[in-house]
Amino acid sequence: MNIRSQGILLVAVLVVVGALWVGLPGQGSAPEVARTEDGRPNLNGIWQALAFSANWNIEPHSAEAGPRPEIMGAYGAQPGGQGIVEGGAIPYKPEALAKREANFKNRMTPKITNDPSRFDYGDPELQCFRPGVPRANYMPFPFQIFQDQNQMLFVYEYKWAMRQIHIDPQMEAPVDSWMGWSNGKWDGDTLVVDVTGFNGYSWFDRAGNYATSALHVVERWTPQGPNHMLYEATIEDANVFTRPWKISFPVYRRIEPNVQLIEFNCVPFVEQLMYDPLGLYFPPGTRPDGE
Amino acid sequence: MRIPIVRRVVGGTVAAVAAASAAVLMAQAPKPSLNLNDTDSAIKAAADAAKREAAVKDYTSPKTAWGDPDLRGVYLTATYTPLQRPPELKDKPLYTEEEAVAAFKRAVEADAEVDPRTVHYDWKEYSMDAWQGGARPSLRTSLVVDPPDGRLPALTPEAQQRREMAAAAAKKRNPAAGIQTFGNTYTRCVLGLGIAPLMRGGNPGSESAAAAAGVTAEVQIFQSPGFVTLVHQSNNDVRIIPLDGRPHLPQQIRHWYGDSRGRWEGNTLVVETINWKDRAPGVGFQGSTDALTLVERFTRIAPNTMRYEYTMTDPKTWTRPWSVDSEMPKVEPNLIYEFACHEQNYGVINVVRGTQIREREALAAGRPAGGRPGGGGE
Repeated sequence: MNIRSQGILLVAVLVVVGALWVGLPGQGSAPEVARTEDGRPNLNGIWQALAFSANWNIEPHSAEAGPRPEIMGAYGAQPGGQGIVEGGAIPYKPEALAKREANFKNRMTPKITNDPSRFDYGDPELQCFRPGVPRANYMPFPFQIFQDQNQMLFVYEYKWAMRQIHIDPQMEAPVDSWMGWSNGKWDGDTLVVDVTGFNGYSWFDRAGNYATSALHVVERWTPQGPNHMLYEATIEDANVFTRPWKISFPVYRRIEPNVQLIEFNCVPFVEQLMYDPLGLYFPPGTRPDGE
Repeated sequence: MRIPIVRRVVGGTVAAVAAASAAVLMAQAPKPSLNLNDTDSAIKAAADAAKREAAVKDYTSPKTAWGDPDLRGVYLTATYTPLQRPPELKDKPLYTEEEAVAAFKRAVEADAEVDPRTVHYDWKEYSMDAWQGGARPSLRTSLVVDPPDGRLPALTPEAQQRREMAAAAAKKRNPAAGIQTFGNTYTRCVLGLGIAPLMRGGNPGSESAAAAAGVTAEVQIFQSPGFVTLVHQSNNDVRIIPLDGRPHLPQQIRHWYGDSRGRWEGNTLVVETINWKDRAPGVGFQGSTDALTLVERFTRIAPNTMRYEYTMTDPKTWTRPWSVDSEMPKVEPNLIYEFACHEQNYGVINVVRGTQIREREALAAGRPAGGRPGGGGE
């Protein structure tokens, strides 16, 4: 994002913050919301959450040095954030909390092998894996919603990850996946998306917060005006949480003229990280630094 | 690792694909029966479908709720028609109907014939052969219709030199035999197969990329107001096509999928794509470069048939533009499965590691370099 577009985004945010101030809670009718031919809120467009410090940690957190501060300095530092978890803390079972801590400790040490257990190591984001749901929605990248009556398509700039929302017909998840299987329905002006069929490998953030394949996410996308939505998600996973819990944050429309998603195909960006330790990127004796 | 999920085809049996998981799974109810060996029935069904669709004249596609021609659906991009016309058919651009079915039958039977000594995957076992996925016979003897001889035009001197240098480099043992040398955009999971253009010509008997194009060869055309979006089964690549007349991205911004702009000409969607990423040391389709302009035309000519034409113009590669005219059958269901390729790409680890071992063995024995392993890609 260049400085100009950041400026425009900031203006958009200020406008939206103003609208929030006046309009909250704004449930139910929102007369200025654009509508499709079938009378539903028209969610077509490019959207972005500004709660993206949540991608560092969805719980409240202070600013901290990031990983590898000796080379990354302020570039790699973690901004503080008030979090997006209702009540401030995820209700982990005690043993699950220990796994979260281990995840955090190992977040920068992916263990790449030709064995499926590789997923147990390191933050999936670091390795350019699909982010899963809900994480895709608050990563520091925009995403685009394509809305048709019976099916919707979400394309996330990060990794170009995509998910289809099945409205009619709805289907059970045919196979476990990173992004899960999404069935949608309208509850008034709220798009309610039921997401199941996760493979259990995705994390919520860089802090190691996680769930298992029993994860069940129910998202509620509620327009609050023409240019912002309230995003809420209820998160259940009896394997790791003592009860369902909730996250919420606003999502803003990107209103710059001609704004579009700019490819972020991160696979080439992680090949050295992932394959160099195996001698597959710089085979022995071929490193440019002579090692 | 790609694992199939069964897909039903309009007017027939059949199959397709999903991705990257641990078990073969059935996606849809009712569960279709797998057609692993009955090529005769598949050939008959394909010939009937081709005949039925060709009988539809002056078809006008229905409209979406917002008034655009309705192109929505999943289409098969696999075909047995070769990109270039075989030399023995030099002056014959079109088959008769009987000849077309006979050529299709030969291609299907050759595809269904598998020598386990020469293939790693028998795609047929996963119902991923093109004849299992809904491919149909075509009257055309080549996808290329211009130049009129059905062959690609001459290369520019620059492109000839590029090709010679690449061939020389492949013969020379490269000590940096890593993933970027031995992988390609497909095996590295950077790109899927057949992203742009969509139709690339048939297997079998063609080079590996085209041969593999029968696999995961589905594209969903998703429409919403102001946009057409192409969602590919292969690698879940997505091409977003704005229709609002906006200018292309500044030329500094380069995409693996290029930068597409679309417009309607009557019931035809016309898409122009430029701003390609420089893939050096690799290249794009048929050796094209970042200077490529791709113009595609999508016209629904029958309820279950999309006419798909494209023109490739790349002054760094060819002495003149060339064009393809082809058809894509519509298949069911209207959805795309997750294709998490990079997330568990143990294939590239094994391929690169194995190649390194072979290279060291060859070096020790004083043998020439073994060339590049493949698996598809540009």
